[in-house]
Amino acid sequence: MKWKHIMIVFKKEVKDIVRDRKTLFSSIIVPIFLMPILFLLVGRGTAKMSEEMTTNITVALTADSYSPAAQNFLKESLETQGEDITIVDPVDDPWEAINSKKAKLVVSLDRDFEDKLKALEPFTLKIYYDNSLSRSGGAVGALRSAITKLNGTIAEQRLEALGINPEILTPVVVETENVARSGDGNMMLMMLLPMIIAMLVAVGGIPAATDLVAGEKERMTFEPLLTTRPGRMSILIGKYLTIILFSFASVISTLIGMLLAFIINPSSITMGLGQIGGFTMDRGSVILCLIVTLLLGMTFSGLQLAISTYARSFKEGQTYLSMLMFVVMIPAYAIMMIMPNDIQMYMYLIPVLNTVSAFKLVLGGMTNYTGLILAVATSLVYVVLSLLIAASMFKNEKYLFRS
Amino acid sequence: MIELKGLTKRFGNVTAVNDLSFTVREGEIFGLLGENGAGKTTTLRMLATMLKPTSGTARLAGIDIVESPEEVRGRVGILFGGESGLYDRLTVYENIQYFGELNDMPVREIKKRIQELADAFGMNDFLDKRAGKLSKGMRQKASFARAIVHNPDVLLLDEPTSGLDVGAMREVQAFLIDQKKAGKTILFSSHTMSEVEKLCDRIAVIHKGSLVDIGETEELLGKYGTQSLEELFVRLAGDGR
Repeated sequence: MKWKHIMIVFKKEVKDIVRDRKTLFSSIIVPIFLMPILFLLVGRGTAKMSEEMTTNITVALTADSYSPAAQNFLKESLETQGEDITIVDPVDDPWEAINSKKAKLVVSLDRDFEDKLKALEPFTLKIYYDNSLSRSGGAVGALRSAITKLNGTIAEQRLEALGINPEILTPVVVETENVARSGDGNMMLMMLLPMIIAMLVAVGGIPAATDLVAGEKERMTFEPLLTTRPGRMSILIGKYLTIILFSFASVISTLIGMLLAFIINPSSITMGLGQIGGFTMDRGSVILCLIVTLLLGMTFSGLQLAISTYARSFKEGQTYLSMLMFVVMIPAYAIMMIMPNDIQMYMYLIPVLNTVSAFKLVLGGMTNYTGLILAVATSLVYVVLSLLIAASMFKNEKYLFRS
Repeated sequence: MIELKGLTKRFGNVTAVNDLSFTVREGEIFGLLGENGAGKTTTLRMLATMLKPTSGTARLAGIDIVESPEEVRGRVGILFGGESGLYDRLTVYENIQYFGELNDMPVREIKKRIQELADAFGMNDFLDKRAGKLSKGMRQKASFARAIVHNPDVLLLDEPTSGLDVGAMREVQAFLIDQKKAGKTILFSSHTMSEVEKLCDRIAVIHKGSLVDIGETEELLGKYGTQSLEELFVRLAGDGR
């Protein structure tokens, strides 16, 4: 194996792929434009959903429990509690009314609610909602809040009528203050960003890998290459470095895409669920996290090269390599919701999980050198293993000349 | 010179090449004849060090293919198929340059050699065009140039005229004659008997991986009492057809 030969192969492969519009487009160009569109659309969708749950909450009485007095009671007591509630005309069927957007919520009252109110007895207000519709299911909270306030107002009036100070009902006054140094959208970023980076690092090199061996076999350029002076390992490493380069190029282009989304609308980066900021990162952890990520890219580049060598044709290579995406997606999604302090030690030992965990840790401003060093050590083993697999495939005549 | 000594290749239980021993003299064009699956391509792949022999060995230009495969590769030019194996997204120049670099040629020498080859093959007009945009004839010339950019002593050609039209076939044949004149040792496989008759100094017929006979065309025709090479081929490798 000679470095000179490796670099000749590497430079040629990079030049070749850069001129391949198909690979360049799918690895580099698409993420730059797709990411802002994706984040902005999802962010807008989330913001719209959140708005629907908290504003213009239309509430209707059921026709069964309707009476002018009930309608008036609801209007006077619920529309004045500070929530954006509007009482609309009564409806016959709660499901139909909610689904045809006549009302977001439907309520029924005991027919004798006025008598019970006067007699200081409780009466029932039943809320009908459709949990499959966020505008309805999500609005229940606002209505409950209004009813809680109403209960408090009525209780205060009753106590005052009895000459008792209403404060007797609140022995403890609760005050809250958010002392978080980070933005409220950081949690969402901790869920999304590590998963996106790990998945891209692991699969970003697929277009290049497919082209570099399976594609060469199909175009019949592979055999002439094998008859040139360099040993197989030099050719293999040259191609391997190319795949690693394009894996990370796709990650960088995705991050550029996300940055563009952030510049256009800062909250889009957290899918509309708050702003990000106030990160405090430990430098050592950041370095170890980047090393783990690099090693993950190297591991999967080796696997991609092995799979591409096994494939007879470009199409077969594409099919096998697309399966690799699922292998990556399963662990990445499995720990998507996990927060930095919930990361278990075993997660640092498993490919993909280790990178996702390392990024969550760093974004959460936490340190766990034992976990990160373990992740680096095991990742090194995976890199060596994947390279050994690729090398054994590359040296095996059975796979190399499969046609 | 190419010297095969008991060259054998087995794939599992199948013996693709069985104990081949013969010599191709320096500066001759040698034809390797056999039906599909007779072991021609496997033999050429072993000589090009793409496949490792199961047993036996061969020496190309005095270098052993098992002991020094890298050195052998530096002395061999190959052409498998008529005009295949070019990188479509690279220019003709870059294709040839790549193989020059891989064969450890200095940059200045590569440049000089490409110009020589461009003049010799009439490629100056399309040297900077991408290979994917060339006509079949242009691709063929580029393939020749690439195969001999490092000035190899030995040329291995596997059915170099397969799938080519008459004009293109004549180009290949002219190329082979030129290379012979330049002192190269050429081993090539072909199905076209007229081509073999026209070009080869000697031939070897292999059948089911084994050598059936070897000699000059006239000598073999006389030996088996056949009128044409085609008749001779059917007799030696035709399974009694």
